[in-house]
Amino acid sequence: MAVGNQPDLAREVERLRDELALREQEAANRERQLERYAADLRETYKEERARSRELVRALSNAVEARDAYTSKHAERVTAYALELARALGTTLANTAEIEFGFLLHDIGKVAVPDAILWKPGPLTDKERALMAQHPLIGAEIVRGIEFLGPAAEVVRSHHERWDGKGYPDGLRGEQIPLAARVFAVADVLDALTTERPYRHASPLPVARQMIVAESGRQFDPQVVDAFCTISDEELERIRSDIQ
Amino acid sequence: MKRSVLVVDDDPFVRKLIATTLEDVAEFELHEAADGVEALAVALRERPTLVFLDVDMPRLDGIEACRRMRADHASAGATIVMLTAAHGDSVEREAEDAGADLFLTKPFSPLELLRLVDRLGEKSP
Repeated sequence: MAVGNQPDLAREVERLRDELALREQEAANRERQLERYAADLRETYKEERARSRELVRALSNAVEARDAYTSKHAERVTAYALELARALGTTLANTAEIEFGFLLHDIGKVAVPDAILWKPGPLTDKERALMAQHPLIGAEIVRGIEFLGPAAEVVRSHHERWDGKGYPDGLRGEQIPLAARVFAVADVLDALTTERPYRHASPLPVARQMIVAESGRQFDPQVVDAFCTISDEELERIRSDIQ
Repeated sequence: MKRSVLVVDDDPFVRKLIATTLEDVAEFELHEAADGVEALAVALRERPTLVFLDVDMPRLDGIEACRRMRADHASAGATIVMLTAAHGDSVEREAEDAGADLFLTKPFSPLELLRLVDRLGEKSP
C-alpha cells in the first residue's frame, strides 16, 4: 500500500476495530441468551420429572387407599426392587421410569372387586381367574403413559415365574423382562415380611430362605444371588425408612 | 383468520430463536423485521396482534417504532412487548410512554416468552 494512503489505512483499521467490538458484543449477547435457554430447559426437565413422579405416586396411592393391609406396600416393594437392581449391577436402577413401573405394578387391582381383593379365605377358581387379570388390566391402564416406556412391562409381567408357570402370559426365563424378574423377588419379600389378616409376618431370615428355595423355580437365580448379597440390616433399614 | 405475530430484532439469531420457540405453540403466522423501518412496513401490511420489539436497532429504534405503531391504526391495537437489555429502567419508562404493554428483559427466558404468548392467546377471541 502507498505511503500516501496512511490516513486511509488508519481509518480502515479503526473501522475494523469497531466492527470487531460490535461482533464480539453480539456474540456475548447470543451466548448469554443461549445460557438462559439452557437454564430454562434444565428447570423444565427437573419440573417435568417431579410432576411425573407426583402423578405416579398419586396413582399408586389410589390403588393402595382401597386396601389398608397393603399400606405402603408399593413404596416398600419399590425400594426393595431398586436396591435389588443395584445389587444386580444393572443400569435398571438408574432409569427413573423403572421406579414408576414398580410403583404402579398393581394398578390393575382397581378393577378387582372388593369381595375378591379382601376375601379372607382361599379364592375359588373363578375368583382366582379374575384376580389373575389384574396385570393385563394394569397394562391396559398404563398403555397411554408414554413416559413409562419399558417400565410398563413390570405392570404386565410381575406375576410371571422363571419356570414358566406364572401369569398372564406364561413367559419363561429370560423371556420375562429383567425389571419384572427383579420386581417379583421384591414383591414376595414384602408380602412374606408384612403382617396380613390371614397369616403372620415371617422374620427376614425365614423369608430369605423361602426366596432362596424358589431360585430357578419362581425366581431368576441371578436375581436371587443378588438378593443374597443384601444384608438383613440393609433390608431392615429400607423397611423402617418407609414406615 | 390466523393471528399474526411480528418479531423485530436486528440480530437474526434472536429472531430465529423466538420463531423456533413459538413454533406450533399457538395458531399464528410469524413475521420478522430487522429494524424499526422494516417493522413499520410489515406492521402496515400484516396487522399483527402481537409485536416483539427490540429497543436497540439501526435506522429506527424500538421506542420510536413503538410510538409510530401506536399512531397507525393498522397496529394501534396490537400488544407490544419490548425486548429490553437488563437494568433498563429508564428505557422501560420511555417505552411505556411510547405505548409498550409488556417487557421481556434480555437475555429473555423462553419459558416466560411461552407463558406470555399463551396468556395473550387466551385473551384473544
